[in-house]
Amino acid sequence: MKPAPAAEKLFFGAALFSASISLFILLFMVVLGLPLFKDGFFLRLFTDPWRPDHGLYGISAMIAGTLGVSFLALVLALPLSLGCAILISIIRPPVFGRLLEKTVQFMTGIPTVVLGFVGVFLLVPFIREQFGHGSGRCLLTAALVLAVLIAPTMILFFCDSFSRIPASWLRAADALGCTPMEKFRHVILPNSLQGLAGGTILAMGRAVGDTMIALMLAGNAVAAPHALLDPARTLTAHIALVVAADFDSLEFKIIFACGLLLYAITLAMTLLIRGLDRGNGGRTW
Amino acid sequence: MVRAPRLRDRALIAFSWFSGLGLLAIFAVVIGFLLARGWSSLRPELIFGDTPPVQALLFRQQVFDGLFPAIIGTLSLVLLAMTIAVPLGLAAGIYMAEYCRGSARRLGLFFDILAGVPSIVIGLFGLSLTIFLHRHFFGRLYPCLLVSALALAFLVLPYLIRSTQTALEEIPRTVRLSAPALGASRLQNIFLVLLPRSLKGISSGILLATGRCAEDTAVIMLTGVVASAGIPRSLLGSYEALPFYIYYISSQYGSRQELQNGFGAAVILLFVCALLFTAALVVRHRLAKRFFHR
Amino acid sequence: MKKIIAKLKMPAVFGLALGLLFCAAGARADALAPFKGEKGTIKISGGTAHIPVMKEMAKRIMRFNPKIRISLAGGGSGVGIRQVGEGLVNIGNSGRRPTANEIEKYHLSLFRWAVDGVAVAVNPKNPVRDLSKSQLKKIFSGQIENWKELGGEDRSINLYTRDKASGTRAVFWKKALDKGEISPRANFVPSNGAMKSAIATDPGGIGYLSAGNLDKSVAAVAIEGVEPSLKNIKSGVYKISRSLFSNTKGTPGGLTKKFIDYLYSPAGQRLIAEKGFIPVAR
Repeated sequence: MKPAPAAEKLFFGAALFSASISLFILLFMVVLGLPLFKDGFFLRLFTDPWRPDHGLYGISAMIAGTLGVSFLALVLALPLSLGCAILISIIRPPVFGRLLEKTVQFMTGIPTVVLGFVGVFLLVPFIREQFGHGSGRCLLTAALVLAVLIAPTMILFFCDSFSRIPASWLRAADALGCTPMEKFRHVILPNSLQGLAGGTILAMGRAVGDTMIALMLAGNAVAAPHALLDPARTLTAHIALVVAADFDSLEFKIIFACGLLLYAITLAMTLLIRGLDRGNGGRTW
Repeated sequence: MVRAPRLRDRALIAFSWFSGLGLLAIFAVVIGFLLARGWSSLRPELIFGDTPPVQALLFRQQVFDGLFPAIIGTLSLVLLAMTIAVPLGLAAGIYMAEYCRGSARRLGLFFDILAGVPSIVIGLFGLSLTIFLHRHFFGRLYPCLLVSALALAFLVLPYLIRSTQTALEEIPRTVRLSAPALGASRLQNIFLVLLPRSLKGISSGILLATGRCAEDTAVIMLTGVVASAGIPRSLLGSYEALPFYIYYISSQYGSRQELQNGFGAAVILLFVCALLFTAALVVRHRLAKRFFHR
Repeated sequence: MKKIIAKLKMPAVFGLALGLLFCAAGARADALAPFKGEKGTIKISGGTAHIPVMKEMAKRIMRFNPKIRISLAGGGSGVGIRQVGEGLVNIGNSGRRPTANEIEKYHLSLFRWAVDGVAVAVNPKNPVRDLSKSQLKKIFSGQIENWKELGGEDRSINLYTRDKASGTRAVFWKKALDKGEISPRANFVPSNGAMKSAIATDPGGIGYLSAGNLDKSVAAVAIEGVEPSLKNIKSGVYKISRSLFSNTKGTPGGLTKKFIDYLYSPAGQRLIAEKGFIPVAR
């Protein structure tokens, strides 16, 4: 075999370096969070509350916050996105469909921090006054805005997976006299489940990984939320809030545990999506 | 004969319309609220404060109560991050599409992982890397513009790689083979035929990545952005940035004027990013939708 | 006749105004004179009660000499102390005295330049303006949950607190709550400024912040009948007070020293008083 030319080596170097970044991040999180694993502190991370005054540094409340906010956002966004995707790619009202599609595309470009900003000055007072209880900075507020953040991605992803159904199948359904909705329920939906799952997991990953919405709108309390109007703190917001500057303090090590956990969650989701993709690609039409 | 839609169908249709109208209403409320509150503040004073604009633009006088330092900060940040990320992303994308064989294809997995890593974790990585280097190698390195740009570059690398790769792979075989058949070398083929052919896909990737760099707040929060620093003069200094300014104002505005500036900044950032994203979509309609991640 | 007098007076008034302006400019320039011909960067972070003073100083100095860069970040006292200790910033501000441990570990030099109270604040719409210490403790521990129990309207009490890095929190926790419980369900805000705007927008909110940072957007609450006024803080009648420090690693030199010197100059001390703190001479 001939030795690779310089250009190829250069390209390969770039690819290898880029790929290694994801490993480097993992390495940093593990190495810097490692002391926690040694001290037998690890389990207490999941059982203790976060009470630095009393020397307790558990992050279970933040895990609950992250799961609560992102699940709720997903529950709110999923039906909305499905409905919009059906409208855009199945029902296709001529003007409104195009308008909606363009709007959705535009919405993917709205900066997170701007959505958070609108949430602070519009939704927080609204929720506070509507429910007359709590500060308005709570699980529900954050989840509502997070749903608006993830919905456009889901809609575009869903539309994409609907459009992958082979045209011949759709024509066959037409020939059998299906109404568009019957076609959707019996042909399109069952055959795009993997795509729907992929889009949902992707949106979930984004909801888990988002920092600004929860930081600005969830209230950041250190107790696990028990109700929609309870304040909550997510893992990402926790990292942003506990700014520290040295390796020695316990808080800083905990931050890496949070980072590691987030990494693990998003890694699992990435692998799931890839698995779904492979399943999809392996199928013969 | 057209059958009347059954109840289930009708319910589904009604629900879809309800969702579509709902989303549009949400969009209208968000944009309407921002414009209603922020439009009036879009005046030169918003950007330049009480400093004469010409003096500020020539960097002769500093701006204190305007967005100018934050805008320049964001601009430098985006430029720097893209200077780092674009060559790297393009080179890696070319490798993945043109050279990569066999087990090296697995590299793609790592790009997907990187694309999924939350931005705050990338920021945390940037911060810890900086402290590590500061302690052991470069005593003069602090969280700064350069570190933020590097971390942002890591954040957008996967988009750039994937968009380059997809754009190259979509070129038809006939085009791909004609130049080599005429005696062009592999490199000539890449740079003279394939890259120009996939310019649309690549530039839409670059536009998307630029938008991400401009709007990200979590990464820069941990790696050197501050509330007040003036125009960035050095790569190793602290800086201001628009998204951070918006976040900062949202939680700690001191006066009505500051709050107004916050709304103005939000409107500006919204339009810059929306413009970049729309441009990316116009340039290339069918985009690998997975990389809408943020 | 009147017109003539007016005409005569005009130049006099102008002259006087001009004279005053020059005097003011002179005084200001005197304090700023050491920054002439200087060049370089000062990085400041930490205590957020300090920010109004620091911001105005930075503005004056950078306007006087554009070659000087001053960057200003918050984070809280704990962050300021650690960052200055790690050499990440030149000046780390703290709203509490650094602990002996911190001073020794990081070789800190302390510069105490103001006395400041920590005030309890509520929304101006809230009629409750006086709380006893035991009421305060019950509010912050979550035992009292509605304003009507305190003579206010029927509205839930929304607690706002700060992170462990906050010096304001440390002082409040020790001197107002006697190290009592703060409910984990309290909302967290990252700075004194954020505390103020959170309470200003929440009719049911209560929190604590630097007395110097108080303004009309929030209402200060008297504790045991004592208001957190400058007079009461100065005389020591209002007990929940602390000093504001700027800390450096080792003895400061160059620009950093000049910055700190400015705090103690007449102009600096005037500025500190203007921003609502009680200036402390070196």
